[in-house]
Amino acid sequence: MGSPWIAFLVVPLVKIVVILLVVILMAAYLSYFERKILAYMQIRIGPNRVGPRGWLQPIADALKLFVKEDIIPSRAEKFVYIVAPALITAPALVVFSVIPFGADTTFFGLLKQPIPPYLTDINIGILFILGVSSVGVYGVILGGWASNNKFSLMGGLRSAAQLVSYEVPMGFSVIAVLLMAGSLSMVKIVEAQKQAGVWFIFPGIVAFFIYFVCGIAETNRNPFDLPEAESELVAGFHTEYSGMKWAFYFLAEYANMVVISSVATVLFLGGWLRPFPNVAALAFLDVIPPFIWFAAKVGFFLFCYIWFRGTFPRYRFDQLMALGWKVLLPVSLANLLVVALGVLLMGGAR
Amino acid sequence: MGNLEATRPFPDSEEMEISFGPQHPATHGVLRVMVRVDGEKIVDAKPIIGYLHRGTEKIFERETYNGTIPHTDRMDYTAAATNNQALVGAVERMMGVTVPPRAAYIRMILAELQRIASHTIWLGTHALDIGAQTPFFYTFQERETILDLYEEYCGARLTLNCMRVGGQPFDLPEGWTGRCGAFVDQLPARIAEWERLLTNNRIWKLRTIGVGVISAANAIEWGLTGPPLRGSGVKWDIRKVFPYDRYDEVDFEIPIGANGDTYDRYLVRMEEMRQSVRIIKQCLAKLPDGPVMAKVPKVIKPPKGEFYFSVEGPKGELGFYAVSDGSTNPYRLHVRPACFINLQALPELVRGHLIADMIAVIGTLDIVLGEIDR
Amino acid sequence: MSLWGFLTSVLQIDLAQGLSVTGKFFFHRKATIQYPEVRPEPAGRFRGMFGFSEERCIVCHICAKACPIDIIHIADHFEEVEVDGKKKKKKVLDRYDIDVKRCMFCGLCEEACPTEPVAIWLTTKSYETAAYERNEQLYFDKERLQNWEGVKPYPGVVPPNMGQMPNDPTGASSAGPEEQKR
Repeated sequence: MGSPWIAFLVVPLVKIVVILLVVILMAAYLSYFERKILAYMQIRIGPNRVGPRGWLQPIADALKLFVKEDIIPSRAEKFVYIVAPALITAPALVVFSVIPFGADTTFFGLLKQPIPPYLTDINIGILFILGVSSVGVYGVILGGWASNNKFSLMGGLRSAAQLVSYEVPMGFSVIAVLLMAGSLSMVKIVEAQKQAGVWFIFPGIVAFFIYFVCGIAETNRNPFDLPEAESELVAGFHTEYSGMKWAFYFLAEYANMVVISSVATVLFLGGWLRPFPNVAALAFLDVIPPFIWFAAKVGFFLFCYIWFRGTFPRYRFDQLMALGWKVLLPVSLANLLVVALGVLLMGGAR
Repeated sequence: MGNLEATRPFPDSEEMEISFGPQHPATHGVLRVMVRVDGEKIVDAKPIIGYLHRGTEKIFERETYNGTIPHTDRMDYTAAATNNQALVGAVERMMGVTVPPRAAYIRMILAELQRIASHTIWLGTHALDIGAQTPFFYTFQERETILDLYEEYCGARLTLNCMRVGGQPFDLPEGWTGRCGAFVDQLPARIAEWERLLTNNRIWKLRTIGVGVISAANAIEWGLTGPPLRGSGVKWDIRKVFPYDRYDEVDFEIPIGANGDTYDRYLVRMEEMRQSVRIIKQCLAKLPDGPVMAKVPKVIKPPKGEFYFSVEGPKGELGFYAVSDGSTNPYRLHVRPACFINLQALPELVRGHLIADMIAVIGTLDIVLGEIDR
Repeated sequence: MSLWGFLTSVLQIDLAQGLSVTGKFFFHRKATIQYPEVRPEPAGRFRGMFGFSEERCIVCHICAKACPIDIIHIADHFEEVEVDGKKKKKKVLDRYDIDVKRCMFCGLCEEACPTEPVAIWLTTKSYETAAYERNEQLYFDKERLQNWEGVKPYPGVVPPNMGQMPNDPTGASSAGPEEQKR
């Protein structure tokens, strides 16, 4: 077994296992952090009984969901009912294969040669991400339909309409970044920001806001969480799901949150770059390894997700759709025009 | 989707009848609303009540007068002192008894504290229904201090039993006025924080402006009282129009709204909390000395007759119609419940709105099923 | 819309104000009390579990009449006793039962009791009377009302037969503090 086998097979397999483990653990512990951070904003302490300071709470939740009774409604469409949660979880996890977590690194000298800490970098990275995450809409519609419950169906259709409508302004804001970067590959976008010496959030602030707002709507989070709100009449597409299948929807939602945050980091916040990467005076910041920068930025976005959940009321469905089509879409188109003009005037993409 | 046909009232219509409740997180109790919808728009909404009926008015007939007071605590359980105040006020007026001034001032302080406590529940739950989770915790934190004050005064936090026919059972304990004063001093800053979260928030305004509109004339026709009436622009408050308990000796204003929608009722209640703070500060400053109980016999036996007396509770006009036949037990004690009459206007308020708005309207009417069903 | 209105709407100042409130509370002291390790102390007048003193009770039945839901059941009989050479009839308490599962802790019985200090009182600061079975374990006869079997007193509080007095739950001569500890 020579080194080509190791390079082709073993290294990617190890990376897949590590990424999957990290992502699933992160989604589970994101639920813990959400409960704690929401609680701290609400002048209370969150879970603190299971394990030291409540750190084992997600493990306890997962164990409980494993042993819960598996209920399938009698007139549900059985095959679709069982497959629908997978249809939303799988794309959320697959997308992680192209997200760059950092620059080539030796993990503090553990490895002899530096390897890139991401699985792969395809030259249509961002297109792949947008396309694959759109497949998740199937999981929502089919889950709502297969439950044989008119409220679930209504919730599923609404949720699907919301997801599809907010993908359009999201796409336009992403195109604005692509114009500035000149490439669809995730790693090249980060390198373009390094070349430009500034994160793309500064020239693309409008695109950033639109992207983040659409990202919140894409993951069905407050203030856009009407389809799954408990206090509304229509209880949402996952009403009839319990136990492990419900846990998959839950996992998919949190994994999607991490995806949106990671993509926002790469596109707008410079990925693994430190602030002002070309300014020599700040070189002392290089002691912090790149993937820590990445993790910090993603963490900041996740904190914002939770902060918004704790603060804002939710939009009514028609207001939500009006916001997406009548406000965000024209603004993102206008922003695209302005960015295109700017890139043209500055002599082409970097 | 086989069951969809069964709920269509007519074979060709697009309308659907949905039963909303009685077990539902947003109905503030066991309320059932039969909503007839055309697509998403509400055509008609019929509230069905009675799930919390406990026969309170019948129980009143077998109790002595002082024994009915703990039962009134459990009617509008979010505002127990107001219920007590209405009942003892009716009986006292039937007997021709005037409470001593110190007792009247203590009653005013308790009632205004109760108004603030009830409005904190309203704000927390209303915001929660509309989606904002955190004001609930902030408002309940202030309510905790109020309940602690009640506990120090009469021994209970929720079912107070804090008034008797003829005055008050206890005098204020040591240091209570100081603690109460400290609480009301810091309360306007808290109210300002809650307003920062909600009043100018664009999402809040989108959800509440123009929702559940009722004109002033219609509000009077339907018999609404309290913030739903004042939100439509009618300046009517029992404390000003038929003053009781020395309310004519304190200065306060009645906030009214302009458009009669949910946003105006929200603003009216926030301002009412601030006016209550003003009243409490004046009462604490002017608190006279003296006895807290008038000279009433140990066993209360009002003369034969009937009397109607109402107070301005946090939910509206809460009244008691007392009929006495000269014995120790009331012959009839009928309650004029504010929430019951306010709830009757629900079909008028939600017609033409979407289902999500009905939740906002139920929240803005501030109903408590304990008072509706008794 | 004025220029300022347009700016605030685009810059989302109203949303930022809301975020600043929750962000500020993130760093506030938390209000949670870790029960059961920490028990908040009720106020002095708190109406909790009953305390009863058979010696002070004069069997006048006023508490039973005052109770709005008639859960106090009293039975007595007359006995002849010799006092200073004269034969006198004295009321002796046979049964003083309180059906605590129905009690609403209104305190009217305590108010009605004419003795000084009162023979039936609720200011015991104790609220932990939960039981696994309702009919037998929540029906207190006069022995149980005094020895508090099955009742968990608030820390520091002693049962009535060990010296608890109304307004003095710890049985010491100093009264309990009136403010709640957090």
